[in-house]
Amino acid sequence: MRATLWADTEVRIHPAFPVLCAAMLLTARGTQLGAMLAVLLLHELGHVLAALALVVAVLATSRPAVSDQPYSPDSVAANGSRALAQVLARQGVEVRHVTTVSDAVRAATPGTTLLVAPAPLLGDDQAAALAQVPADLVLAQPGATLLDKATDGTVALDVTPSGGVRDPRCDVPAARAAGAVTLDATLAVTGPAAVGCWPAGEGVALAQVRSGGRTVTAVGDPAWLANSSITEQGNAALTLHLLGGHARLVWLTPDPLDASTGGGVSTGGSVLPPWAGVVAAWAVLCILVAAVWRARRLGPVMAEELPVVVPAAETTRGRGRLYRRARSRGHAAAALRAAAADRMAGRLGVPRNADAATLTDAVVRATGRPGEDVGALLYGPPPADDAALAALARRLDDLESEVHRQ
Amino acid sequence: MTITGRALALALAGIVPVLLWPTRGTVVTWGLLVVLVCVADALLAASPRRVALSRRVPASVRLGEPATSELTVVNSAGRRLRALVRDAWPPSVAVTPDDGAAAGTAAVGAASARTVTSARHRVDLRAGDATRLVTPLRPTRRGDRAAGAVTVRSFGPLGLAARQASLPVPARLRVLPEFASRRHLPSRLARLRELDGRSAVQVRGEGTEFDSLREYVVGDDVRSIDWRATARRGDVVVRTWRPERDRRVLVVLDSGRTSATRIGTGLGGTGAPRLDASIEAALLLAALADRAGDRVQVLAYDRTVRARLAGASGPRLLPELAEALAGVEPQLVETDWPGLVGQVRAHVPQRALVVLLTALDPAAVETGLLTVVDQLTGTHQVVVAGVADAEVAALAAGRDAGTVYDAAAAARGDLEHAAVAAVLRRHGAEVLEALPDALPPAVADAYLALKAAGRL
Repeated sequence: MRATLWADTEVRIHPAFPVLCAAMLLTARGTQLGAMLAVLLLHELGHVLAALALVVAVLATSRPAVSDQPYSPDSVAANGSRALAQVLARQGVEVRHVTTVSDAVRAATPGTTLLVAPAPLLGDDQAAALAQVPADLVLAQPGATLLDKATDGTVALDVTPSGGVRDPRCDVPAARAAGAVTLDATLAVTGPAAVGCWPAGEGVALAQVRSGGRTVTAVGDPAWLANSSITEQGNAALTLHLLGGHARLVWLTPDPLDASTGGGVSTGGSVLPPWAGVVAAWAVLCILVAAVWRARRLGPVMAEELPVVVPAAETTRGRGRLYRRARSRGHAAAALRAAAADRMAGRLGVPRNADAATLTDAVVRATGRPGEDVGALLYGPPPADDAALAALARRLDDLESEVHRQ
Repeated sequence: MTITGRALALALAGIVPVLLWPTRGTVVTWGLLVVLVCVADALLAASPRRVALSRRVPASVRLGEPATSELTVVNSAGRRLRALVRDAWPPSVAVTPDDGAAAGTAAVGAASARTVTSARHRVDLRAGDATRLVTPLRPTRRGDRAAGAVTVRSFGPLGLAARQASLPVPARLRVLPEFASRRHLPSRLARLRELDGRSAVQVRGEGTEFDSLREYVVGDDVRSIDWRATARRGDVVVRTWRPERDRRVLVVLDSGRTSATRIGTGLGGTGAPRLDASIEAALLLAALADRAGDRVQVLAYDRTVRARLAGASGPRLLPELAEALAGVEPQLVETDWPGLVGQVRAHVPQRALVVLLTALDPAAVETGLLTVVDQLTGTHQVVVAGVADAEVAALAAGRDAGTVYDAAAAARGDLEHAAVAAVLRRHGAEVLEALPDALPPAVADAYLALKAAGRL
């Protein structure tokens, strides 16, 4: 089941994407790229738009619509909850995913279920706003503030969690349907209005409070939502009973940067000061003006018809690289020796077609070196390695300088 | 239309109202204000198209020498013209700010793309006024260079926006070869004068002629005493000889693909094509042969005649030759050697000195020149002059493990060149190969040696 879920992706384009593209296009105009783009825009607007559309299409289709946020209905990770969301959707429950508290408060009307996924960064104001919604509340691993406000202080966090497989031992329908589970008992029932299930020691794993026509259910251990453990024991039955009670489910996975409370005027879900947007618009205006300022050059670029670039030493370098790559020290040494012999023969008056012995004799007479030494230098075996080849070249230079000194 | 930095400053000043009334409407209003002011300013600017332009440039300039382009701007727009005028020239002609260091060198590499400030002029003209803008030029490459369009950017009275137009004003500057080898000319002319009036008998022979009689001085060869004149004068008189005059010299420049390779693009090299070294050698040889009283013809050939000069002599020779060779560019085609022989036969039917300025590339020579050299050496005295590469010479000196293979390749190349030269000599041609700087004097020396030996 998981495999089929994971292979399944859907297409979703962020609404800000075209705006982002346009902004990139405009901010790039100050640079040389910008000038190029400006020319293109003037002359080939159609092509540019087509290319842009193609880029958008490719990016949109290649981007899978999954997130990696824990307990998000989009996430296919082990701690995601996409499996649960899809099963609920197949059962006819309309799942609405929200990431801000204000959206959750607005969507959680009577007759809906609001699931608050684990949110350690929830502010006190936000917790209060969530606790007052008229919808049925399901809190997964709630913080102390949220738990306190939502249950009117009848449920608290237990400091000594303990686990193990056990029966519900309560009359909450969802718990009875689920049967034995291994959820950690991290909650403590402190008031008479609350019902606790799956007790272990002082704590309970699930606590439910009915007040004012709504039900508030808190589960201390969020493992029952996760893709990895939803199929274990009675977790699936528990989730379907708790979250499938109404036709609409609001699923809140709070954004860590969200500061909205849902009360009064919406601040747009931003932590920036209110004038930031206006200043940003002014900055965009200035960037636009700067781009237009820099975009047009003073007349066309002057081109120069340059001669072709073919270095005369190209073939020599190429041959040298061939020698080096093939490690043909024999050929290289033969070339060096032949060139040195040719020059020395010219200096000593030996004809070019003279044999080795004649030239060796002439060099020996000119330099006074031993004959076998000169013979080995001019006609010896090829060198064993590069260092020996370099040494041979230097010794040939020495010999040649001795000949030329005569 | 375009805007200036002042328009940006105006947009930046918008931060004051934006901070006072931080709403989107303020930004939109300010943006509209900037646009409106800029458009009004541009509309009030003088029309850049109603400016009469005319350019005056010298017909030709020697490579590396400064020149000027004079642009006359007449404001006929009917309004005051505040403008930035750009007199555009190709990079190898324009003077760049740091040109002082590179002045006088024949470096080919075009200046990298940058703004040429010397080509930009600010003008402020009342209606009907005119001004003359002088743009300094310093060509660094031989050949014909066409000027670009003149761009006029006319600013409005506030200087916020401008109207711009590029107007074609055709002009052409012919850049003549540098003739850097002319510094070798005085010493070669001195040696030419030494040849005249020499009494030595070994000079006498084919290609020399009787010059005059003069008194015997100690050291003169007794065999050159003219006994008849001595008897007549009662003083010992010797005959003197001079090299024969009015010989024909044909300089052939190979402008085929082997002349396109760049010589010494490495450290210290000019990076100029091989053809430029050939042109230097041709200029020096032509100047020398003309002073020696010979008739000089020059031919640049690859598959067709690219340039030809014949019949010019005296002070007209060098300017005409420089003019003829200025436009010759290396062609990326194989030289048509049989066609070249046909050209030589057509232009010099009698015996002449034929100097081939080419490359001694073994493969190209074996398939090209070697097949036809016999047809030339049969009638003419042939000198084959090749341009060698300083970079190869530098490679041949590599002696550590990393460079010794290059040295070996250079040594093998030298051997092949020597073998090709030996084959050409066997066919009766004189062969010499030298680095670009050394080639012109080497060719001149070969000419003098042939003249001294009476082999022209």
